Amino acid sequence: MLHVANLTASIGGTPILRGLDLDVGAGEVHAIMGPNGSGKSTFAHALAGRDGYEIDGAATLDGVDLLDMEPEARAAAGVFVGFQYPVEIPGVNNMYFLRTALNSVRRARGETEIGARDFLAVAQEAMDLVEMKKDFLHRAVNAGFSGGEKKRNEILQMAVMQPRLAVLDETDSGLDIDALRIVASGVNALRSPERSMIVITHYQRLLEYIKPDFVHVLVDGRIVNSGDHTLALHLEDHGYADFVNHELDAPERPLSGAAT
Amino acid sequence: MTTVAPTSPIEYPTRHDERWRYAPHDLLGRLSFGPPSASADKIPGPIGAQIPALDGPLIVIVNGVVDERWSNLTAIPDGLRLSTLADASADPAVPVVAHFNPDVDGAADVFMALNTTFGVDGAFVDVAEGQKLDAPIHIVDVAIPDETSNTSCTGVVIHLGADSSATIVETRLGGSEAFGGSNTRTTITLDDHSTLEHIVLQDMPSTQVHLGRVEVTQHAGSALRARSFNLGAIYGRLAYDVHLAGAGAHTDLSGLYYGAGEQTLDQQITVIHTAKDCTSRQSYRGVLDDESAGVFNGGIDVRPGADGTDAEQHNDNLLLSNRAEANTQPRLEILADDVACKHGATVGQLDANAMYYLRTRGIPAADARRLLVNAFADQAVDDIGIDAVRTWVRDRLGTPDA
Repeated sequence: MLHVANLTASIGGTPILRGLDLDVGAGEVHAIMGPNGSGKSTFAHALAGRDGYEIDGAATLDGVDLLDMEPEARAAAGVFVGFQYPVEIPGVNNMYFLRTALNSVRRARGETEIGARDFLAVAQEAMDLVEMKKDFLHRAVNAGFSGGEKKRNEILQMAVMQPRLAVLDETDSGLDIDALRIVASGVNALRSPERSMIVITHYQRLLEYIKPDFVHVLVDGRIVNSGDHTLALHLEDHGYADFVNHELDAPERPLSGAAT
Repeated sequence: MTTVAPTSPIEYPTRHDERWRYAPHDLLGRLSFGPPSASADKIPGPIGAQIPALDGPLIVIVNGVVDERWSNLTAIPDGLRLSTLADASADPAVPVVAHFNPDVDGAADVFMALNTTFGVDGAFVDVAEGQKLDAPIHIVDVAIPDETSNTSCTGVVIHLGADSSATIVETRLGGSEAFGGSNTRTTITLDDHSTLEHIVLQDMPSTQVHLGRVEVTQHAGSALRARSFNLGAIYGRLAYDVHLAGAGAHTDLSGLYYGAGEQTLDQQITVIHTAKDCTSRQSYRGVLDDESAGVFNGGIDVRPGADGTDAEQHNDNLLLSNRAEANTQPRLEILADDVACKHGATVGQLDANAMYYLRTRGIPAADARRLLVNAFADQAVDDIGIDAVRTWVRDRLGTPDA
């Protein structure tokens, strides 16, 4: 379903992703783990279509090339990225935002738009999933939300948008144990044979709740190891040291001045 | 009645006048003034489509003269005197002299002097003591440039008796695309514990100039809620001088200016605190696209003895183009003790992160931009107390109800 081959991304000439390969089949959940600065978030936003990256390589969803599309077209194609830092938008009501988002992708796909009343039912179902109170819909998007509320709002959006591919970027960061449980059970409820997910995380903790089919280790912009969920346990015990130290093996460079 | 003659030594402002620095002086020099010319026949058709449909008395002024054909003065409630300014001036029992004989420092500028001379007709509103008026009073000013004098002058005098309340909407329009404009002057007196909601909707054609002045005197415990929407005209100027003269008076001024093309939209606000324990709020927002310019020049002037003053001022601007500009200048002069005074100004562009976030949710760039601009402007539109006016503003801005 998602096919990524030799994906590179750099910002202002500084390479972040250095040839990333990943295939995610329909209904699979893949976890991507890695140390700070390894390119995890960049990978999420390269798929979502953020400006400012120089991108090369391939990324297709159901055979459709994503990389030349605007972010809104990628959303219409079924890509959803849950943000590590959801953006506050004062003055825009959450309900209006959700309905505008859903109707925008429906319009782009040539489907009929959904009316305010029917939408309420869609929203209610999504809210139950993440245990949100109704007043949540009438607040401005993420404005003044707690960290946990923001992350739950991301899952709420995912439930409304029903994407083909969900990329959740550190959805567990900043969550207490209760919020983590709510977010994880929301994600689990949205698992389906039609939907693929990439769960990006720093810690193994989230993967106790969302059991991945595959775990990948991202270091220096490349996937350096892949395995099943036991790989996450290994990382928990041993850290990333096994994967990040290979620069120590690099051949010594001659001292400056020691020209031949 | 003393008037300032057009030959008075008051000169046209120049760029060196702080309050006229950003005005298009070449256009101001082409404005011509004269006695009002009744020319209601020139209105091409019903103006109903251009103004908010309010359920209350309507007074329509065309080129400085009240036109009874378009006005609706049939259902005047008890306790309201609503008449032409010309009729009111002719009645010795009516206190409109202060309007024509300003006692502060004389005329603030040449346009006020011209208005005092030529703006002899317009609207007169007098609300009797203790009367609470439900229906809004609508005063519509239409300028149709004439070859001999292309700029109309209109006067509006509003007086609220003690413990009364009223809502008054002033809509300012132009009736043709020819160059010219309007010069309006509103004098408001709020007696003790009266409450006024005053809304100005400025939507002149982009070929014309609007010079609007509102002068307010507030007595003890009175409250003013003034909302202005400075939307039309090539140069749209709204000047408010509010004098808090009685203890415990409260004034709440806010407005939105929304410019595009080559418009300059200018707000010149001064609040003078002379009495104790008064509060004042100024909150103005600007959205500026294309090559438009916004001006906010806001003064808080706390005179000796005005102890216990609580004053705030905010000005926020959103620039939608790299050729648009916002000019913001606070003027604070505090000569009393125990004063709480805050001010702040921002100039920004659309938040790139918010744009990206909305687009990742499938919302196309143009819609996302509109959503964010509306969200910014809505903070000024949302609290309009009259549904028909809020709808009119939203329609005018192309921002449907969320």
